[in-house]
Amino acid sequence: MLKLHNLSKVYRTDEVETVALNSVNVEIETGEFVAIMGPSGCGKSTLLNIIGMLDSPSSGNYFFMDEDVAGYSEAKLGNIRKQHIGFIFQSFNLIDELTVAENIELALLYHNIPASERRDRVARVMDKVGIAHRAKHMPSQLSGGQQQRVAVARAVVGDQAMILADEPTGNLDSAHGQEVMEMLQALNEEGTTIVMVTHSPAHADYARRTINLFDGHVVTENLRAAV
Amino acid sequence: MLHNYLVTALRSLFRHKLFSLINIVGLTIGLAACLLIAAFVRDELSYDRFWKNSDSLYRLQIKFQIPGRGIDIFASTMGPAREAFTRYFADDVERATRFTEQYPIIRAGDRIFEEPIYLTDPETAEMFDFDMLAGDMRQTLNDSRSIALSDELALKYFGRTDVIGETMTISTFDLKADFRVGAVYRKIPNNSTLEIPAMIMINPSDFAGQGWMFDEWFSMNVLTYFQLRDGASIASVNSRLDDFANKVITLPEDFGAGKTTDIAHFFTIALPDIQLKGEGMGEMKATGSMSNVLVFAAIALLILAIACINFMNLSTARSTKRAAEVSLRKVLGANRRQLILQFLGETFLIVCFAMVLAVVLVEALLPVYSDFIGKTLALDYTDGTTVTTLVLLVLTVSLLGGAYPAFVLSSFRPAHVLKANKSADTPGSLMLRNLLVVLQFSVSITLIVGTVGIYAQKIYATSMDPGFNRDQVLVLHGVGRTGVVPQQQALKDQILRLPGVAAATYANDFPGSGGESNTSVTIPASGSDRSSFIKQRSMDADFFKTFEIKLLAGRDFNRDIAQDRADIATENAVEGQVIQYNVMINQSAVRMLGLGTPEKALGIVLREGAGTERVTDMTIVGVVADTHYQSLRKAIRPELYACGENGLGFMNVRFRGNPREALSAIRDVWTGMISDVPFVTSFADENLARQFKEEEALIQLLFFFAGFAVLVSCLGLYGLASFATERRTKEIGVRKVMGATVVDIVRLLVWQFTKPVLLANLIAWPIAVYGLLSWLEAFPYRLESWLLAPLCLGAGMLALLIAWATVGGNAARVARSNPIKALRYE
Repeated sequence: MLKLHNLSKVYRTDEVETVALNSVNVEIETGEFVAIMGPSGCGKSTLLNIIGMLDSPSSGNYFFMDEDVAGYSEAKLGNIRKQHIGFIFQSFNLIDELTVAENIELALLYHNIPASERRDRVARVMDKVGIAHRAKHMPSQLSGGQQQRVAVARAVVGDQAMILADEPTGNLDSAHGQEVMEMLQALNEEGTTIVMVTHSPAHADYARRTINLFDGHVVTENLRAAV
Repeated sequence: MLHNYLVTALRSLFRHKLFSLINIVGLTIGLAACLLIAAFVRDELSYDRFWKNSDSLYRLQIKFQIPGRGIDIFASTMGPAREAFTRYFADDVERATRFTEQYPIIRAGDRIFEEPIYLTDPETAEMFDFDMLAGDMRQTLNDSRSIALSDELALKYFGRTDVIGETMTISTFDLKADFRVGAVYRKIPNNSTLEIPAMIMINPSDFAGQGWMFDEWFSMNVLTYFQLRDGASIASVNSRLDDFANKVITLPEDFGAGKTTDIAHFFTIALPDIQLKGEGMGEMKATGSMSNVLVFAAIALLILAIACINFMNLSTARSTKRAAEVSLRKVLGANRRQLILQFLGETFLIVCFAMVLAVVLVEALLPVYSDFIGKTLALDYTDGTTVTTLVLLVLTVSLLGGAYPAFVLSSFRPAHVLKANKSADTPGSLMLRNLLVVLQFSVSITLIVGTVGIYAQKIYATSMDPGFNRDQVLVLHGVGRTGVVPQQQALKDQILRLPGVAAATYANDFPGSGGESNTSVTIPASGSDRSSFIKQRSMDADFFKTFEIKLLAGRDFNRDIAQDRADIATENAVEGQVIQYNVMINQSAVRMLGLGTPEKALGIVLREGAGTERVTDMTIVGVVADTHYQSLRKAIRPELYACGENGLGFMNVRFRGNPREALSAIRDVWTGMISDVPFVTSFADENLARQFKEEEALIQLLFFFAGFAVLVSCLGLYGLASFATERRTKEIGVRKVMGATVVDIVRLLVWQFTKPVLLANLIAWPIAVYGLLSWLEAFPYRLESWLLAPLCLGAGMLALLIAWATVGGNAARVARSNPIKALRYE
């Protein structure tokens, strides 16, 4: 699916140079479920953002589906992103002014899909994550777990091949957190590649492989034997 | 506590530079516009209130309503009215005086000019307290060979103002005499409807040959002012004016029997009301209009309202930013009243700051602005009214702009705000903001449509085909003077010989000249003695050729046909014998007289003075097209043309090529032949255009203030857009992650502000159209109403483009930013 080769990211301000990622080499196969772990500030989110093409590396190569996208323009990256990648955030990032259904539909809105088909797909994915009865509600009327389910629905409604989840359970209690993890696992079993940043070892256990980051380096990669 | 408030206020002001700048600039412009308009309105309302007797001074006016002719209102009345009036109302009226304008030639030493001066009665000295610089007004106006001069005129002729005892030679009509300067007064302030460069006493024997000036009952050429006795009521005078009219005026025989009040009514107007409520022909200078004053007062308030709206909008939009501060203050024990006071105080601070800037701006703009509207305006900061106005403005704006934000800001519930750090913006306040934006743009669009509409009417009216060729016509004034009349023929011949001159004609008027004379005629052949009122004009035989006026039937005047010469026929009239000559009429006259077609009108005889000793029969030999000769503003009237060759007051010269060359060549001819009459000229097209001077001033002012309104609205929109994009940062980030392009985002943000502007159009159009249509009603020749549709659309498009330009840049900047910044932290 993707391969990072000697990838580095350096943030510069006037006085300080912060190395967020230092010669990272990572390969993720199609259909994998990978967890990225590490202490705060180790570069997890930076890595996820670069994988998600929301940020570009300072040096190194990023092969996405055998294409080196490291030097691509924002517009080109945006195109690849909307075709293949879905996002789930810790803080849900739902738009307060849109209903549940409209929030999910957003992911299809920029894909030139006719309105009727958009409606069908949104209805299907809402059934799947179990929030169909909340379709007309505003995000503020939902619990955190329900909101994250909407976010998951939004990430998969476009049939994205890969989902990037940045601490998807960070704002949830354990019961709701588990619910979301089970949903991700189910998606993975259907073939979706999942890359997830998490602090929780229990949730990392859902993944087949864990990448541990420390100060911008990959320190260990643990492969968990298939159960 | 106060210190803390002040520090918070100032820091908040400096920290949110954009917000502060928009608010202060917007309020400054709004307040400045308000002050400028207030100065204008105050000046308009101050007219003629400075006279000591302003409470008891009135003017007598007359209104005619002649069947089939519409209403004629005169500011002036007839010469004999004053005496009859004071006698009839002896119990109520203390005294009365007349003013009538003359254009004599005045010579003092080597200075010689044609000069407008006023003939007046001695009572003027008692009624009007002129600001005397030297001499004695009472003595001067009681002496038929003394003149009272304004300092302006004294300077013009003598270069100084201490000129008592100097001599000036005045010649007009049969009067040519030396006048001794007996009084010098300061020029009447601009805020008066009186404009009197110089005065001499009315001495009827000087004008014995001009009976129409002071003796005849059907010539409206004197302004008559009167002073009420102490304790007398104007209502009692007004209620007896009809009796007075019927008693003193006898209608001419040929008018058909009836009471005077069947066609004419006297009325009175208080001197201070003349500027804004006065109506009628013959004012000393152009007056203002109440509707203009109201319109501008409304515009001032609207601009200020727009600035206040900006303030409210930006403050509430920004409220999120201050929610934390508010909550903290509440947690620490502040109550709501204290918070409201704090925020009102902040607003007050900003408004005070804006007011200081506005006063600076106004002082900078006043000279230009005064020039612009032809007034001398000044704000006197030691004057109580000015200070009160400023203080009231600051307080009102602080309250208007500050109250709502203060209530919103102080209403935040600390637990909610502090815990969730959430947007404290409620759907209600968002709706209110949109509503206010709609309001702002409605005002702006209405003003744009109004300005352009009035401009379009002016263009339409001034470029309308007047029915004659008005271009390249030079008017020579003063050719009817005694010093020129004997040489009229020679002068015309010499001018016609100039290579740059195509044609020339003498006439008793020129394009755009005011005043008119009317007569009534009957048609003996019709068998009816019904008389019709018709405008009478005289010219020589070259008139229609010179002005290229279309002949519809019959023939033009021919100076070789004796019957065509009205002047000769009248001169040779024998007592008791019917005077006969040929005339021409215009198409409207054909219609009014019921003659059918121009062809059928030929040969018809019109009779003037039927039943009197002096009967004139006029045979129609030609019919010409209607022309807007005297005015593009008034409906064309039926006209009767008589041909004469001598003593006409104006020469109209059609020239070719460069006007300046023509003018200088003609001046050379004039100065070579004529020594004691100054060379005074004007251009026909300019005279006609001058009738739209009032509209021009209106257009310029409207343009000015519409610009202000749009500017302030845009400032507000810019501020709102900035805060809206800031508020929607997260949403934009999400949308971008979902694949939205920069264009998608810009469209999204721009659309948010397109809706209110579109809605504003729907509100503004009907108001603007209604206003324009009512305004246009005063013009007999006006824009086609359908033209208002493209005008409205255009103004709407303009407003939309301005709004897009205002919002678009900001939106594009935000749309281009990296979404992860927006999404990383909530």
